[in-house]
Amino acid sequence: MSSEGTVVGVERLEKVYGGSIHAVDSISFEVGRGEIFGFLGPNGAGKTTTISILTTQTLPTGGKAEVLGHDVVKEPSRVRKGIGLVPQELTVDDELTGRENMELQGSLYGVPYSEAKKRIDELLELVKLADSAHRYVKTYSGGMKKRLELAEGLIHRPEVLFLDEPTLGLDIQTRTSMWEHINKLKKETNMTIFLTTHYLEEADTLCDRIGIIDHGKVIALDTPAGLKKAVGGDVIEVEVAECDEDILEMIRNMPAVTLLDGVCSGNRARLKVPDSNFSLPKILTNFIARNVQVVSVAVKKPSLDQAFLEFTGRELRDDESSSGNEKADPGARKGRFRRRR
Amino acid sequence: MIVEMVALIARDLKRWYRTPAQIILVFTTPLMWLLLFGQAFNIGRLAQIGDTGIDLRMVFGGATDYFSFMAVGQTAFIMLFASFFSGVSILWDRKFGFLSKLQVAPIPRTAIPLSRIISSLVKSMLQATVVIVLAASFVLIPGLSGLRFSSSFGVLDAAGLALFLILLGIGLAALFVALGLVVRNEETLFGLINLLNFPLMFTSSALIPITLMPDWLRTVALYNPITFVVDGMRQLVFGTSIGAEYSVATDLLGIGIFSALMIGLGAILARKALLRG
Repeated sequence: MSSEGTVVGVERLEKVYGGSIHAVDSISFEVGRGEIFGFLGPNGAGKTTTISILTTQTLPTGGKAEVLGHDVVKEPSRVRKGIGLVPQELTVDDELTGRENMELQGSLYGVPYSEAKKRIDELLELVKLADSAHRYVKTYSGGMKKRLELAEGLIHRPEVLFLDEPTLGLDIQTRTSMWEHINKLKKETNMTIFLTTHYLEEADTLCDRIGIIDHGKVIALDTPAGLKKAVGGDVIEVEVAECDEDILEMIRNMPAVTLLDGVCSGNRARLKVPDSNFSLPKILTNFIARNVQVVSVAVKKPSLDQAFLEFTGRELRDDESSSGNEKADPGARKGRFRRRR
Repeated sequence: MIVEMVALIARDLKRWYRTPAQIILVFTTPLMWLLLFGQAFNIGRLAQIGDTGIDLRMVFGGATDYFSFMAVGQTAFIMLFASFFSGVSILWDRKFGFLSKLQVAPIPRTAIPLSRIISSLVKSMLQATVVIVLAASFVLIPGLSGLRFSSSFGVLDAAGLALFLILLGIGLAALFVALGLVVRNEETLFGLINLLNFPLMFTSSALIPITLMPDWLRTVALYNPITFVVDGMRQLVFGTSIGAEYSVATDLLGIGIFSALMIGLGAILARKALLRG
């Protein structure tokens, strides 16, 4: 099922708990080499279960999953050698120093000691922990622990790195620096990264492609731009010195442009276009050719927020308490109704 | 396999010796038992007061005083105590995600319980040594009775002593590590450990002479693995088979079988617990 560049291949993967709870409900997707692929969804959507299956911790109840060309059920040890995992919880050992934690990880992944020593220095430098490496981890802040966790996941230079909610519970600065580390990794090593998140901004900033997952199902899968496009195009707001029917008529005649509202409001016209990057220069040229004085232009790109709402029928919030269980979550049910309407 | 085992054992021992409270406990726990229980509970006196003419060695497994008798039993007792902590520690590792990290790592599954058993053995043997040294040094303190070794006690006897303790330590650690892997709730685990520890301790001849027990309890005690250990060790320490229940060879066989059974049971339980669900 996997082609040359496929690093993670998943086909109709299923995990049913207790015969009735579909944590993962027949999902299929592929992740290509060097790609940052993200699973975006609320808590309980099935993100962690998917990672758990792909990293050989949980057996699927149906379907197929391959990582680096190895079946996760039949060849777990070959999968384990090629992957790195930064789990959701902080698993670094409080009673060891940062360096000792790294050394332990190196031994577990069979990195020879002299090589490990070199890599540990590099990685601690990368995550900016070199100065705190000799300190016990119990003295670290949450963000430092998370960064150490990231460095640990990289000690054996994995071909694929799994990041389960890499910035969950981190403050804004730490989150941004975590994103920098991840982006740097991609740029410098071309590592394939599979991450899960319930932060839209995170998915938008980091991912080449995003799978929106809800109730164990992948309901949309595209680039961030593609997902936004599916919601509708960009909105361009043009303010002119004096709006009149001629100008509106001109707008209506432009190809691939829709005039919203049908009229100007306070000399502003709102135009909807599939892609403002290409449409805006043409539109402005038209205005200038007709000697229309343009006062201001604003472009509104659709947010991933809108996309998520469109696809799942509910908003994604940090405090999302949904467990994927509709009975326990009236909010989700309401969302469903809204979608049906 | 060796490199990761050594790394995991080192991690476990570092966590242990870097905690000052643990080190204090290593010395204070045996001291309390030896001083408060061993010295106070001097049932040998009773026989002397009554002047019954009983050879105390028949009661005390070859020792002439209760303290020497119980000091040997105390080593087995401390092995039990030290071993169950290994079970508790592995449950903690599951709680904070370290166990999952090990499960994702490309290491043989066996390395996970095995490294914990070995680190547990290092800790428990160290504590047993502390018990013996403390008990023997009581001889030097006026007013206290101490553990008196037979004059013929030699290197071979010491090696035999170590062998008994190692077999016991492995068997107990295998059992408790497996329980720590299987049971996922602290309260249940502590309850279970108590349920095992209490009868294991008090239906053995570790602290109470078997001859003083009622018949039914004596029957139970004769098959308690700890009885095999202390029975064998006393013969080596006191250099006599007077008051012994079995021969040293039988004692070794008994604890060997126990250890093998626990390793087998532990392997089955651990495999089940570490299998992907």
